[in-house]
Order: sequence, then structure tokens, then C-alpha cells
Amino acid sequence: MNSVLNYFSTSIWTIVSFILVIFLILIPLFSFLSYSFFTVDGTDIIHEFSLFNFKEFFIDEIYIRTFVRTIFLAIIVMSCCIMLGYPVAFFLARYAGRYKYVILLMLIIPLFMSYIIKIYMMRSILGYSGLINKVLAMMGFIEKPLEFFLWNQNSVIITLVVILLPLIIIPTFTSLDKIPKNIVEASFDLGCKPFQAFRYIIFPISFPGLIVGSIFVFILALGDFVTPQLVGGTSGFTYGKIIYSNFGMAFNWPFGAALASILLFVSVIIILLTNYLTNKLKT
Amino acid sequence: MTRLENYTKYLLAGLTGLIVAALYAPIVLTIFYSFYKSRKGKVDWNSFSYEPYTKLIYERQILESLMNSIYVGVVTVICSVIIGFYFANYYHTSKSKMKEFLQFIIFLPFLLPPIITGLSLLIFFREINLPRSLNTVVIGHTIFVLAIVFKIILNKLETLKPSLMESAYDLGASKWQAFYYVLLPNIKLSLIIAGLLAFTISLDETLITLFLIGNDTTWPIKLWAKMRVGFSKQVNASVTLILILTSLLVLLIASIISRSEKKIMY
Repeated sequence: MNSVLNYFSTSIWTIVSFILVIFLILIPLFSFLSYSFFTVDGTDIIHEFSLFNFKEFFIDEIYIRTFVRTIFLAIIVMSCCIMLGYPVAFFLARYAGRYKYVILLMLIIPLFMSYIIKIYMMRSILGYSGLINKVLAMMGFIEKPLEFFLWNQNSVIITLVVILLPLIIIPTFTSLDKIPKNIVEASFDLGCKPFQAFRYIIFPISFPGLIVGSIFVFILALGDFVTPQLVGGTSGFTYGKIIYSNFGMAFNWPFGAALASILLFVSVIIILLTNYLTNKLKT
Repeated sequence: MTRLENYTKYLLAGLTGLIVAALYAPIVLTIFYSFYKSRKGKVDWNSFSYEPYTKLIYERQILESLMNSIYVGVVTVICSVIIGFYFANYYHTSKSKMKEFLQFIIFLPFLLPPIITGLSLLIFFREINLPRSLNTVVIGHTIFVLAIVFKIILNKLETLKPSLMESAYDLGASKWQAFYYVLLPNIKLSLIIAGLLAFTISLDETLITLFLIGNDTTWPIKLWAKMRVGFSKQVNASVTLILILTSLLVLLIASIISRSEKKIMY
């Protein structure tokens, strides 16, 4: 009798927990997807199926153009993060010795520091009378302050790189740190050149970590709407900002949902693709 | 060849230094501007004062938003650790196929762009007529950090030997006793780490919060609103204080992790 009761109480908790997750994660996702098929009339949302929003997306070329541009922006941000983050992770894992965890911690802390503040302060670093321009002028490199840092795509890219860089360093470091030193030494003994050792031993082992970090950076850069709002100016607006504006001033939730569902579609494809690729690489 | 390696080493060290500097530049500037005034991009070096910090007491709006953030953070920690522990334990002990599905769902809000999590909850709350408030923000934060909490606790559970719980049951412990006297002391540290991490993330969460916030504001949303009119020195001072708090939290997490790793596992 007791065990029967016990069995029921566990299964009830399991059911409750499943319902919780389904209600708070899956149903919101579905309601958002279904919203993308609704339309809006003034301030009322018409709950009827229509493909109007998607038609709008494909007809008005500004949306597609912004979407493609945002994907490119995210790719640039990701590549910059890889090019800057990988060497740093490599340095930490191989040369930093006993300081490696200290430096790693120093790189992690900014990740948790106010997002809004970092973006805001990038304005006073990149701006017309900002830090970079002042330092360059002081050193005599430029006579007039440079303007290409702020209120355009460049500023969005630089800011996102500064914010997202730790995300690529951490997983890359953890996978690089796992490589035993004697494997690399053995490859040298067998006549490997340093570059060969890197190309055939170190890089393949660190690849999964790099991929995880890159995907995080890519997805976060793709969906960001605060950074373009604050440093992007008029020419630096991104897809995420268009989505957000449909939920704010424009008040066209169904259209915003439709735009977001395209973003969701692309993100899911990218996640699945990398998952597939990393699994294939393992075997 | 060794010389080449030396050069690369110094080059990489230089790059690392530059990147650390770049990551900290915005933060250092904020702290700097909370002490010094600047006019038209020129810094007035004689204007050092810590007055903004004492004046902060009179900034009711900022303090209120800080309190809201702390409230949201604490409730998020409680909810996410309890739910996260339950799911981790379920995932660890259950043999059903559903558990992979469960893990997949838990990870969705963490993997998808935050904007998607934010707006899908916004639409959902509208459809069920739940007005936006700090509690809706708590729900958003909880499902966002749940994946991390779940993973940390699960990793710890997987290091424990199955014999641990079995021997507790063999010695006649009830389910509850086995949990309280055997399992809990063993996973205590991972619960603390997960909770601290959840709090730190919740404290600064902006992208999801922007969709779910009602009339009360949390601290990052207050900053976002203040940004349009420019920051006062009091805002910079509050930022500095929060930066110190989050750094301390991260350092605390790191020290707990390194200490628990040194401990011998039984």
C-alpha cells in the first residue's frame, strides 16, 4: 500500500514538473508562433489564420535586406571573436602557467557586469570626442577625429565583440586545457613541426569548444536589439531592433512575431547543423 | 625554434593584455566618471569627489529599482534552484525516454536568442490575461537560468556513486531522510554555486526583462531609461557599487568551485 502511494506521489510530481515546463516554455513558444499568422486591426489582434505577415516580409525588400545584413553582421562579430578569442585561450592554456585561472577569471568577470553600462560606455570610447580619438590625436596619428567608429555598423560590431568575447574564450580554453602536454611533446618527438602539431593535434581537439562558443556569439549577436539601439544610430539598425520596435511603438505584435519566427527558424537550423557537424567530427 | 616559440608567447601575452584592457575599459571609465567630472569630453582633474555616493541615498528611483532587482534575483534563485534540482534529480534517476525531451525543452530558452524567449512569454501572458509585473519578470528569469542551474546540479549528481543513496536506503532511511542527510550535504556546494550564478545573471538580465517588465522597473531597465537623458553621477555611482557586488559574487563562486575541486571525493 505504502509503495503504491509512493509511486503515485512521485509520478504526480513528475507530471506537475512536466506541465510546468510545457506551460512556461513550450506553450509560450507555440503561442508566439501562432501569433505570426494573426493580423492586427488598430489595437486589436485578429485571431484568424493568415499569411499576410510573411507576404509582407517577402514583398517589402527592406526586411530581407536587413535580415541578410544582420546575418552578415553576426558572422563578422563571430569571426572577430574567434580571431581574438582563440589566441587568448591558447595562450592561457599553454603559456600562462599558474596564472591561467586568474586570467581566465579576469576575462569572465566582465561577462556578468552590467550589459547596458558596457554599451553606454562604448559610446564615450568610440565617439567623436571619445577615448580612441583622443589617444590617436595625442599620439599625432590623426588631425581630425575619426567618425567611422560611432553611429554605424562598425560601432555595433566593435561593441558586440567587446561584450561577447568571453563567451568564446571560456569553452575554447576548457577544451584546450584538457590536452595533455605529453601528446604535443610526443608529436614533436615524432618530427612534427610546431605548425603541424597545431594543425593536426591541438586544433582538432579544441574545435568542439570553439564551435560551442562561436554559436553562442553568433546567436546572441543575431538577436541583439539593445546594442544597435544604443550605438547603431540610423544606419546601424538590425533585424532584432525591427522586431523589438513592432512590440513597442509600432504595436504590431503579429508582424513582430512573424519576423521573430523567421529568426527562430534560422537559429534552430544553425543549432541543428552545428550539432550534426560536431557529432560527425567526433566519429 | 625555441626562439620562435618565445616570440609567439610574448605576442600572445600582449594580445591577452590588450583584450583584458578592452574588456575592462568601459567598466573603468564608469568608475572614473563616478568620481570625476568631465565637460565636452575634457576631464576636470580637480573635481574629485565621492559626493555622488552619499547623494545616492536620496535617489529614490534608483534605490527602488535596485531593491526590485534584488527581489527578482532572490525569488529567481529560489524557484530555479528548486525546479533545477528536481529536474536534475529526475534526469539522473529516471530511465524513461522522456528525460531527453525534458532536457531539450529546458535548454531551449538558454540556446535561443533572448528576444524570442522574451516575446513568446509576453504573448503568452497577454493571451492568459496575466498583467505584467515583477513576477512575470521572475518567471522569465527562472526559465532563462534554469538550464544553467540544471546542468551544474546534474554534473554534481553524476559524480556521486549510486551506492551512496542505495546504502542510505539499505540502512533504513526514508526517501526524505536519504535526501536530507545524504544527498543534500553532498550536493550543497553545487546548489550554492548554481544559486549565486542565477542571482548574478538575473541581476543584469536586460533583453528578456524589457519585454516582461510592468510599471515597476528593475535596475538595468532603469539604466536603459536613464540613458536617453544621459547619466548623472549618481547613476555612475550606483553602477560602481553594483559592479563591486557582481565581481564579489563571481569571485565567491570561483573560490567555492576551486575549494570543492580540491576536496577529496568519497
